[in-house]
Amino acid sequence: MASLWRKLTHHDGNGWWNLPHTASNEPNPPYEGPIGGAWLGNILRILTHGGVSHPGPAFYWLVGLFLAIITLIEVWLFGVGGLLGSWYIPLLLILSLMKFVGVVAFFMHLRFDHRLFTYLFGAVMVVGIFIFTLVLLLLEFGNQPPN
Amino acid sequence: MWAFLGSDVMFFGAFIATYLVYRGKSLVGPYPSEILNIPVTSVSTFVLLMSSLAMVLGLHYVREGEKNKGTLWILVVVLLGSVFMGFQFVEFREFAHLGLTPRTNIFGTTFFILTGIHGAHVTIGVIWMAFLAYSSHNGALRADNALDLEIAGLYWHFVDIVWIVIFTVIYLISANDGPPPGMESITH
Repeated sequence: MASLWRKLTHHDGNGWWNLPHTASNEPNPPYEGPIGGAWLGNILRILTHGGVSHPGPAFYWLVGLFLAIITLIEVWLFGVGGLLGSWYIPLLLILSLMKFVGVVAFFMHLRFDHRLFTYLFGAVMVVGIFIFTLVLLLLEFGNQPPN
Repeated sequence: MWAFLGSDVMFFGAFIATYLVYRGKSLVGPYPSEILNIPVTSVSTFVLLMSSLAMVLGLHYVREGEKNKGTLWILVVVLLGSVFMGFQFVEFREFAHLGLTPRTNIFGTTFFILTGIHGAHVTIGVIWMAFLAYSSHNGALRADNALDLEIAGLYWHFVDIVWIVIFTVIYLISANDGPPPGMESITH
């Protein structure tokens, strides 16, 4: 129990939350990525005990568990979809977005990379979503006969 | 790699948009409500999500210089990716037996093109990971050149997030889609 507590709370280079004994085991630069804002930065600092360049395996297991739980919730929502009415699709989209951000921010480590990569990826996403929304709207309303 | 992934976002986005544009416009069956198997696809989605977890763990251990653990987790990625491909193969075969092919209706065309291209990406990723597992095993992939694995990992996670979107849009949202109003399935 004491060993478990030490692993969870001590930042001695051997905890589950940090990378031990490698060249990357250096303090993060002062930069904090744009995803999540200060509150997420604070949570990450607590989990990684001061912040190392990448979190340790336990953090990745937590993210994996989070993704699995969201998938389960999605399947459950599918089962009770009829009860949710017009909330069904927005709820699914929100859950899907949470999984998307979870993978991109932590597994693809955008959260820990230079913000240029986040802007590059985010800009393409915004342009793509804008264009496809436009196409969908045009197809939906573009062929309406004039009044 | 990020620039390539940006271009791939547009690539997949075009196919997803095409699917949405033609959603619910098939005049003959089978329709999504008659054919999609959500429980099975949920399992394959879980498998792909867990392969992403295995990927970051593999990268972590390769960076630490723990060769055996790194190789093991990369092999887990290969295994889970192969299982996902197996699920897709079985699904495609089942759909073909039920009468849905890319030529059957507009749903079949857009469905098979989108999921097929995603499957091709997974296949490329599995082959790539198998090479990297071999490289890690024989010592060619080490902590000092772990960037090779990191780049492959970015590709693998991207394939995962594309599936997150596909699973939501095609499977969960469209699963209850039947024939357009006033139409009946005339396939069966």
